[in-house]
Amino acid sequence: MKKTISLNDISKEGDDNLTEIDIARLVPLPPPYDKIEEQPAWKKISEEQKKNIVCNLDGVVSLSLPRPKDEAEEKFYVEKFVSGLKKLLTRENNWPFLQPLILSVEYCAKCQTCNNACPVYEESRKNEIYRPTYRSEIFRRLIRKYTKRGGRWLSKFRGDDIDLNWTTITRLYELSYRCTLCRRCAQACPMGLDNALLTRELRKLFSQELGWAPRELHEKGTVLQLKVGSSTGMSPKVVKDNIEFLDEDFSEATGIEIKTPWDREGADVLLIHNAGEILSWPENPAAFALLFNAAGVSWTLASEQVAYDGVNYGLFYDDVQLSRIALKHAEIAKRLKVKKIVMGECGHEHKALITVADRILTGDLNIPRESALTFLENIVFSGKVKFDPMRNNFPVTLHDPCNIVRNLGIVEPQRRILRYLCPQFREMTPHGVDNYCCGGGSGFAVMSQNNFKDWRVSIGGRRKFRQILDAFSDQPSPDVKKYVCAPCSNCKGQIRDILDYYDAYRKSGILYGGLVELIVNAMTDLKEPFIKLDKD
Amino acid sequence: MFEIGFVCIILTYAAIITSISVIAFRTISIWRMPVHLRWELAPVPGEKGKDSYGGSYLEEYEWWTKKRKKSIAHELLYMAREIFLLTSVRENNKSLWIFSLPFHWGIYILAFTAVLLGADALFSLGIYTPAVILAYAGYSAGVVGTAGLLVKRAVDPNLRSYSAFSNYFNLCFLTVLFSSGLYALIATDRFAYHVVLFISALIHADFSPAIPTALSVHIIVVMLFVIYLPFTQMIHFVAKYFTYHSIRWNDMPMNEKMGRAIAALMGQSVSWSARHVQGGSEKNWIDVAQEDMKDEKDDKLK
Repeated sequence: MKKTISLNDISKEGDDNLTEIDIARLVPLPPPYDKIEEQPAWKKISEEQKKNIVCNLDGVVSLSLPRPKDEAEEKFYVEKFVSGLKKLLTRENNWPFLQPLILSVEYCAKCQTCNNACPVYEESRKNEIYRPTYRSEIFRRLIRKYTKRGGRWLSKFRGDDIDLNWTTITRLYELSYRCTLCRRCAQACPMGLDNALLTRELRKLFSQELGWAPRELHEKGTVLQLKVGSSTGMSPKVVKDNIEFLDEDFSEATGIEIKTPWDREGADVLLIHNAGEILSWPENPAAFALLFNAAGVSWTLASEQVAYDGVNYGLFYDDVQLSRIALKHAEIAKRLKVKKIVMGECGHEHKALITVADRILTGDLNIPRESALTFLENIVFSGKVKFDPMRNNFPVTLHDPCNIVRNLGIVEPQRRILRYLCPQFREMTPHGVDNYCCGGGSGFAVMSQNNFKDWRVSIGGRRKFRQILDAFSDQPSPDVKKYVCAPCSNCKGQIRDILDYYDAYRKSGILYGGLVELIVNAMTDLKEPFIKLDKD
Repeated sequence: MFEIGFVCIILTYAAIITSISVIAFRTISIWRMPVHLRWELAPVPGEKGKDSYGGSYLEEYEWWTKKRKKSIAHELLYMAREIFLLTSVRENNKSLWIFSLPFHWGIYILAFTAVLLGADALFSLGIYTPAVILAYAGYSAGVVGTAGLLVKRAVDPNLRSYSAFSNYFNLCFLTVLFSSGLYALIATDRFAYHVVLFISALIHADFSPAIPTALSVHIIVVMLFVIYLPFTQMIHFVAKYFTYHSIRWNDMPMNEKMGRAIAALMGQSVSWSARHVQGGSEKNWIDVAQEDMKDEKDDKLK
């Protein structure tokens, strides 16, 4: 095993891993999670698997890229990669991100100021390939070598020559899925450059030119959503049935009749949930329905394909898919003649529809769009619903979803709600726009192929887990139930996996959920607690 | 044989023209790039009442109905801290900051000194002594900063493994520039007076000024650097304007003018070749974005 990994190593010894992960070398967790032998063992990629899929980065395989049949196929994809590099730099093919890309490619001062902002790099104890600039610098050098006039000759002269071969592109492909696109490094960059953007551009090149993208984000994500209606696979009929079932179930449980309106033309609000909530956290859409009805909101869900799922995984890897889904959301809202769209508790839905797609929603598609957090804050402080904060008298901390907080600057509304409704609310350190990603960002939360879940929990989510434990360190006993409020579906999925992985409910009494559940839990109209702190 | 004063004057004119032209060209090239999709990053300074914690106008209920309260002063303060204190570097990379700060201040002080002496050349202000004191401070800070950065880049594995020949060359060039200035300052009798004479010669197109040798050498090094600078990534002072104002802090919602620009961009053809895009000369962005999803089963690796 080599001790230091250089940039040039990316193209060498293609069947070997560039690095290997030793969980004993990661930043230690506090007791009772400090015993390596008690932590789940990582799944190993078998020799049989290696015969079929590419495994040459860090022993982790998130993408299951089939091995090439022959050299001709390798060459075909390498050439495609070069043509993709060139397209990234053209106005026609990449106007959506041309200026940010070129600035980030051309003006890096190689100062490494961004490094320590990255939780993946830090928690891995500075594994070289996770350094935010490792991937970026290789990308940058390949662009200079293969797209600039005289680039090949100049790169040899400059001494920054990197070979481009099957090994290089497959390692880069896998490596582009070791960054959660949290953009903490971009905040630290004195030049204002953005490694996360470069990572996304790399993913985009693979997707839009080579047709390579993670199965969970593409085939089972955006493609399924555009064809069937939702990345969960739920068709309009199924989603309506499910919601009807939830309405009945929660009406019975709460004693308050819940009725979810569908396709109500001219409603004030079109609420778009991440459809994953309906299947994985049904209490979330139920709580929204209960609260909206109690506050007398004129609202609706839409049953047309795509419109009942706010997911837009295109945000993470593909501009075309991003545009297709965002346009569908807006077109359906336009047909329903709603006054505004309110995002459910889903971070990337916020970023995709409120900001990133803002400039493609031209003319009458530019329907006002608002965060659930500001909408909920308005309800909580409107006086229309009565609350008893003592119903939430247990320790609560808040996870800041990167896409809502760092990317949109929505920081305080959720805090004002929690300070009012949760007497034992405490912050994580750091928090707000300086928060750490949960480790499930950029689609990771739904990616679990092979041993990738081990990686995203143990490394991607390690800092978040330490933050959670630290926030509750004054009451470590599992007898005191503690709530991590994560107003984002993907973050919830990742936090669920972290807590399960380390058995944190049993060992520390930590559970998790959304924001609206805490609000409903504090409603005086409810006879029984909405949040079940006792899992047993 | 040309006199050294003639060489200095010609080189200075060439440097000014080259530098301004190339920087202008590169600036315009960035400025003329198409409108991009929003990619802002908190904190966006200037949002009144919110920028202390990084909040944005999107925190407002029905934000589109409210008038935005922006504070230019806060934005300027943020920029001043970044420019004069290198706040991001200080907070995230202190061991680099201790050299980067004197290097940048060396430039600022010397630029200010040059302006002072230029004013003296025009208005005979008689400010040689403060100018010399500033020059000592500027050159010394520059030497300490660039030499420190050079050594750090050479010995720190975090920097060394990412450094190309050009990174070392740039720092060496700058170290020579500041050192030659410091030497000229020490070796030249009435340094400020001779600089003022040189500036006067420039203003009055006098091609045969008498310039002491040490100062001439320094002027030649400076002008060679001024010619070289705009071709490098060291003009990040230009790029930084765009990375901050056009990207990180550009949270401007869609408007009519932008809509027209985007509509034109969406009319361009797309040639991405993956099966789900299926671009080609006949398809533009609007066609591709509105297309129904097709079966991609045959898109797998064959």
